[in-house]
Amino acid sequence: MTTFVELLLNGLSIGAVYALIALGFVIVFRATEVVNFAHASLLLAGGYVTAVLRDDIGFLAALVVGVAGAALLGALIEFLVIRRYRGRDHSVLAIVTIGVDIVLLAELTRRIGSNVYPMGDPWGDGVLTLGGVSVPHTRVAAFVTAGLIIAAFLLAFRLTSWGVATRAVAEHPETAALMGIRLGRVSLSAWAVAGGLATVAALFLTVFPTPGLERGTSLAALKAFPAAILGGLDSTTGALVGGLVIGVTQSLATGYQSDLTFLGRGIGDLAPYLVMLLVLLVRPAGLFGTRELARV
Amino acid sequence: MSEPTTPLTASGATASGAAASGAAASEITAPPAGPRPAGRRATRVGPSRRRAAYAAAGSPVLLALPFYVDRFWLQAGLLAMAAAIGAIGLTLLTGATGQLSLGHAFFLAVGAYGYCVLAGDGEGAGEPVGLGLPSWAAVVLAVLLAGVAGGVFSPIAGRLRGAYLGIATLALIFIGQHVLFNAHDLTGGYNGRAVPPLSLFGLTFDDSETVVAAVPFQAMEKLWYVGLLLLAGCALFARGVLRGRPGRAMNAIRDHRIAAGVMGVPVARHRAAVFVLSSMYAGLAGVLLALVFQQTVPEYFGFILSLEYLAMIVIGGLGSVTGAVVGAAFVTLLPQILTRYSEVLPLVSAPGTGGVSPGEVSRYLYGAAIVAVVLFLPGGLVRLAARRGPIEKDEAERP
Amino acid sequence: MTAPAPDVPPLRVRDLTVRFAGITALDGVSFTVEPGSVHAVIGPNGAGKSTTFNVLSGVYRATSGSVRLGDEELTGLPPHEIAARGVARTFQNIALSPYITVADNLMLGRHRLTRSGFLAAGLRLPSAAREEARHRERVREIAAFTGLEGHLDHPAGALPYGLQKLVELGRALCMEPRLLLLDEPVAGMTADERRRTASVIAGVRDGLGISIVLVEHDMGVVMRLADAVTVLDFGRRIADGPPDAVQRDPAVVRAYLGQEAAAS
Repeated sequence: MTTFVELLLNGLSIGAVYALIALGFVIVFRATEVVNFAHASLLLAGGYVTAVLRDDIGFLAALVVGVAGAALLGALIEFLVIRRYRGRDHSVLAIVTIGVDIVLLAELTRRIGSNVYPMGDPWGDGVLTLGGVSVPHTRVAAFVTAGLIIAAFLLAFRLTSWGVATRAVAEHPETAALMGIRLGRVSLSAWAVAGGLATVAALFLTVFPTPGLERGTSLAALKAFPAAILGGLDSTTGALVGGLVIGVTQSLATGYQSDLTFLGRGIGDLAPYLVMLLVLLVRPAGLFGTRELARV
Repeated sequence: MSEPTTPLTASGATASGAAASGAAASEITAPPAGPRPAGRRATRVGPSRRRAAYAAAGSPVLLALPFYVDRFWLQAGLLAMAAAIGAIGLTLLTGATGQLSLGHAFFLAVGAYGYCVLAGDGEGAGEPVGLGLPSWAAVVLAVLLAGVAGGVFSPIAGRLRGAYLGIATLALIFIGQHVLFNAHDLTGGYNGRAVPPLSLFGLTFDDSETVVAAVPFQAMEKLWYVGLLLLAGCALFARGVLRGRPGRAMNAIRDHRIAAGVMGVPVARHRAAVFVLSSMYAGLAGVLLALVFQQTVPEYFGFILSLEYLAMIVIGGLGSVTGAVVGAAFVTLLPQILTRYSEVLPLVSAPGTGGVSPGEVSRYLYGAAIVAVVLFLPGGLVRLAARRGPIEKDEAERP
Repeated sequence: MTAPAPDVPPLRVRDLTVRFAGITALDGVSFTVEPGSVHAVIGPNGAGKSTTFNVLSGVYRATSGSVRLGDEELTGLPPHEIAARGVARTFQNIALSPYITVADNLMLGRHRLTRSGFLAAGLRLPSAAREEARHRERVREIAAFTGLEGHLDHPAGALPYGLQKLVELGRALCMEPRLLLLDEPVAGMTADERRRTASVIAGVRDGLGISIVLVEHDMGVVMRLADAVTVLDFGRRIADGPPDAVQRDPAVVRAYLGQEAAAS
């Protein structure tokens, strides 16, 4: 039972981190209707900047620079590439982000090589024990931070003019433009926000018990894709629920791996994708996705 | 208009039809006004004849290459041919039908490993399982196996569209990698398994020498002709599909899926069928790749490979068979050329020396090429060639 | 109204209701399209005309009510099954493949009438080639009938708007339908194109004897072509009958024609 509770807490924590990534992904999709396949490399970029700078300027400053850097990179991609394609077929745009992803991933994996960069975070390998259940400090920090950021975003979505503009654009871009909303700004800010969120996620994907940032971190980040599509690509609620489902599934499958040996090693990494397929079989638009009404 | 039996030409209808066509005739003499999307593509002058001329000029060169070119280039060429077959399959799905797939590497793996399992003899302790089938039968069955794997995915492939399918197919990559690394008995695990050579009509396509016109023919020389034959067959088949009834339905699904359904196309079933066909192309490409590499390793069939195939079809020109072949040649040969000439090229260093390796350089190049092609050259490299000449009819430019 | 072709059944729409997300787009609408007649569905914007079409062609699902073509229930069938029963439609916004030639766009209309599958097309079997040639011939006839024969080799997207709408109509005719649904066939056309399209539609009615349901804002075209008119307003039927009777109906004048009159 203790094991189960520990795994569940761990899963919820890592799930909150996936939710952060999926949230950025969904924000970009709602603002620009682009399925952003470069999202994982954006995450790797933010994490890399943080990891490289922390020796010189300290962890917190490095994290701030990392978040800003990834936000800037996201904005640059939007400004230099995505903006030029506005009005084009969305499948083509998705493929363009794949091109961006290939370049970024090639550059980052070349720089990282076979190194592992520890994040130098303040939580270290401390463990919190409460009533026989132990959870690493990093997991508590991840859950709290991700929870706060997500809550802030949901509030911003409802209350600020930025949130209203973004939602209006998602509903009907032409009408929103006619109402004086500047599509370019909404789209640019969505990409920047996605980059920033991804960097925070990168931090929590690479702290204890993970040794640090490495090439493979972007593969871990790819699990936010099933989280986003499982919840429904156009739903922020879906991103949260999807993230948590994926996190818990992965944590449980990894934790009980020894009971699942017939499925082979590393089933924990595969489980999120299997869950995604199961959900899609039943609900092709995801758990919270709207089945869009065809306008003809 | 002379058939009196058809109701459309009956009585009063003819008059209005003729009037309408008269008015239409006066209108078409003037070029369509305004910047219409496809206006300049309206001219076409016998593309098939031009194509036939290219083929007539090109084929003797391709046929003669094994007599003049060394093993390195033959192998590179064969890899390009295998990639071209896989890319044609992907462009049927992504280019012509508008369904994004990141799972292509999975079906390549099914073909490659399927062939090994079916054709391998499985003898010796610790050897992975082999059914010992004749190798030609193993090729056919491996392709069918890839088709079945695509069919199993059809409940999802039929119902999800565009980029949504792209994300869902990510699962295939990870399932594939998981199985390849874990199912030791079938796949040989991390180190993969040796590929049994192809054997046809008593001729074995391995490194046992057969001397033809004073040139020693080894595996690559012999396989070269198999590759050419398979590629030609696959390209012709795909073109037939695109030009025929299924191709029209595919384009309709891509351009307007609701209209396609209303016109009587069972959209989900058709999408699933194209997915199966595309998987079979990937399966055959996988078999050929395995035969060329002579050893299959699981690492090869990962996420990056799927991205490479998408790069091929975008760079060449989405939805075009020729484009898929051109793109496959570009993406496959680029790292080979850079490797071969890494000493003389600036900014490129030999693999393992710490600088920017040829593999990385080519990844920058084709990643950037995807962005650039879609931005500046919608329609891909094929369109670049076509801009100076006639336009190919069935090769639409966007998914 | 001309004599209907023998195999054209009546279309009966009964108590059709469509709701999405709390909005009632159609509220218990009923009407009957007599075989071989032109039946217009009119009403102000948002009256539910397009929703009616989308239900008739299977794009939307009805919340309740029924649509029957002869003895066959159409409600709940997917679009391609409805197409297989001889129902064709055009789209208000052009829904052609822009990079494909007009001929191939029209050939798409033959999809349900042809059989060649992937194998036959890929291997270029003689049966596929014969079928292709036969249907291309018929497509040429229909193109001539709609005045498109000079454009068969052009990409559909390169044609002027009015001609593209004619291609829509031609493609629907290529399905050899028993029931033809025309969604604003002359909207956005020049006066000349409008006249031509109307004469093609009249030609279809007179020459083929099939039923036509017409959604159109152009009252001139409606009054000239229609044998019967159903008027919708806010998802409800407010009038139904022959054109001149409907035109005089006070409810209609209030809801619809009144607006038109005031505007013009």
